[in-house]
Amino acid sequence: MVKNLKNFPGVEWVKGTGDFIKIDEKKCIGCMNCVKVCLAGCFEMVEKKARVKSLENCMECASCWYVCEEEAIIFTWPLGGTGYRNDWG
Amino acid sequence: MDEDFDVIVVGAGFGGPVAAKICAEAGLKTLMLERSQSVGDKVISGLTIPFYGFLFGPKFIQEGNPPIERPSDGIINYIIKDIDKGDIEIDKSLRVPKPFSPIIAFGYNAYCKPFCEWEVNQAVDAGVILKKSTTAIDVIKAENRIKGIITDKGERINCKIVIDAEGSKGLLAIKAGIRKKYRPETISLADTYDYVMPKEIIDKVFGYSVKMCWGWDEQRIAPPLGHGNGLMVWPYRNSLHFMQDQCLRINDNHVPNLNKLFKVYHRNITDKLAWWKNLVEPHIKLRARMWAGFEIYVGLDKELRDMPNHAAGMLLIGDAAGLESTELCDGVPAAWFSAEIAANIAIEAIKANDTSISFLRRYDKKIKQHPIIQWSISGRNRFDLRNAQEEHDLKKLKQYIHNGWGLGALTHFMNPFFQILLSYVNNDPVIITKWIKMFFRYYQNWIYENYDYSGKRVIRTNSSKKLRKVEMKFLRYMGILETILRSLSKKKKLLTIIVIPLSKSLNTIMRKALPVVEPIYLIILRLLNPILNRFSRNILKFVKYANPIIFQNQKRGF
Repeated sequence: MVKNLKNFPGVEWVKGTGDFIKIDEKKCIGCMNCVKVCLAGCFEMVEKKARVKSLENCMECASCWYVCEEEAIIFTWPLGGTGYRNDWG
Repeated sequence: MDEDFDVIVVGAGFGGPVAAKICAEAGLKTLMLERSQSVGDKVISGLTIPFYGFLFGPKFIQEGNPPIERPSDGIINYIIKDIDKGDIEIDKSLRVPKPFSPIIAFGYNAYCKPFCEWEVNQAVDAGVILKKSTTAIDVIKAENRIKGIITDKGERINCKIVIDAEGSKGLLAIKAGIRKKYRPETISLADTYDYVMPKEIIDKVFGYSVKMCWGWDEQRIAPPLGHGNGLMVWPYRNSLHFMQDQCLRINDNHVPNLNKLFKVYHRNITDKLAWWKNLVEPHIKLRARMWAGFEIYVGLDKELRDMPNHAAGMLLIGDAAGLESTELCDGVPAAWFSAEIAANIAIEAIKANDTSISFLRRYDKKIKQHPIIQWSISGRNRFDLRNAQEEHDLKKLKQYIHNGWGLGALTHFMNPFFQILLSYVNNDPVIITKWIKMFFRYYQNWIYENYDYSGKRVIRTNSSKKLRKVEMKFLRYMGILETILRSLSKKKKLLTIIVIPLSKSLNTIMRKALPVVEPIYLIILRLLNPILNRFSRNILKFVKYANPIIFQNQKRGF
């Protein structure tokens, strides 16, 4: 249930988060702000619109949500006890 | 969970457990919710908790033995003029001088996780019910007030007051209709690296000082693009915390490609900065990389600063109330102060059976009157530094750095510090000796890794051996100091005629005197260096072998 990643040492992800980041396609204008600020590479562009590629490496920093001027990103917390965790914070 | 509570605290970070513990001790039925599996799973460090957090913060922290990673005696600023030529200027004026350093510390570097665990354990011991792996997704609203929390499992838990300690994103406060999402230029993303490094090398390379680097945009050496954000390295016990941070939106509404930039910055630092490359790099091993957003400029924006921090049945504390410091990027002291204030207001409100917005308004009033909270959310040096970087104005850059993280900080910190100091001394004249003992105890705990938070590190039991002469002498000095403080406190005239008016103009005095006093002070320190070093070594030796009982406030056994 717990996943580690080579690119991001020392941190783990507990599965079962649910879709805690969603994009409202109708609102997205394809500005790519979310793609630019996401250090985990959670987003990709498909037909000039941002799409959530995977939330597997998400550290829940909410930067994507902050930079989305169109309010197209819906950000909530993952379900209790899931998602990003680390021992060195 | 079918039962009802008096208070629900959302979030077990730095502020939450303080509020919860105070409520539970007052006999309120208190529940604390935490969304991670274990406390501290989702926190990110890079942290010096400044001394004023410990002096004016919760009593149980001041009198306890919290886990700290290393005392910090101040900041060494590297002003990078030309990295390729190695042209770097250093401003290390903001350092506690020897022999006070490192015992009388500027602050304490800490990992957030064990610190929060330690706080939570104290709260649970006081009777707080802790529920982990539980995300609060919404509030229960009825009759125009907040009456509880809805969790991700669909539970509806009723309470009289919610204390929201969820941290900077404030999702619950937004759901409750109290606050709005912040603008991206107020948020800084901190890319953090945790490196293991042998303690003896950290002692040599860093000692007890935090290193900060500032540079020009085009050098891409320390992220300078945001509003004066830079690079910081914190020495811990046997690890380093390296943090580069950058605002999410910068000039001309431009959102930077952080993914790309952070890689460039990190590579440039490791390749070009001599002390990192030669003294640090060969001895480190990467243990973890993580990042988080910090709302560092919320306090500078009037509209955001004026957003409500309470509603009927709900109080917001710490980062959730927008109280992160704009310059030190540190929210812990403000989280502690606001947690204490919120808990006490919650206790009063429940006692009076009045959790209306008009009753809880007194919370906002107290936050706005708190000198250190207001000082910490209004410092503009880090923000204004951006202009100096854009204009490539070295004089201005140095000035802002000196005022923010050099001795120039005294020109804006003295008034709020003395205002709060006087109120503490007024309540308890001998509190100063308690603080001195706290500093000594923390330092001794640090040497022996004596923290009372985990099975591995156990606080030393008080030895019953007879006190040595030197230990008796320490207690005698403390006794003399207490007598002086008590007799001074009786001289009310001295306080009202001289001390209070003087304390209100200390910033102005400092502004005028510092240009003359600072060079003299630095020369004297340099001249006295050998003597101060010897004196310092003797004090450290004394603390190392001293009976821990003499650094405790409660007299036990004698």
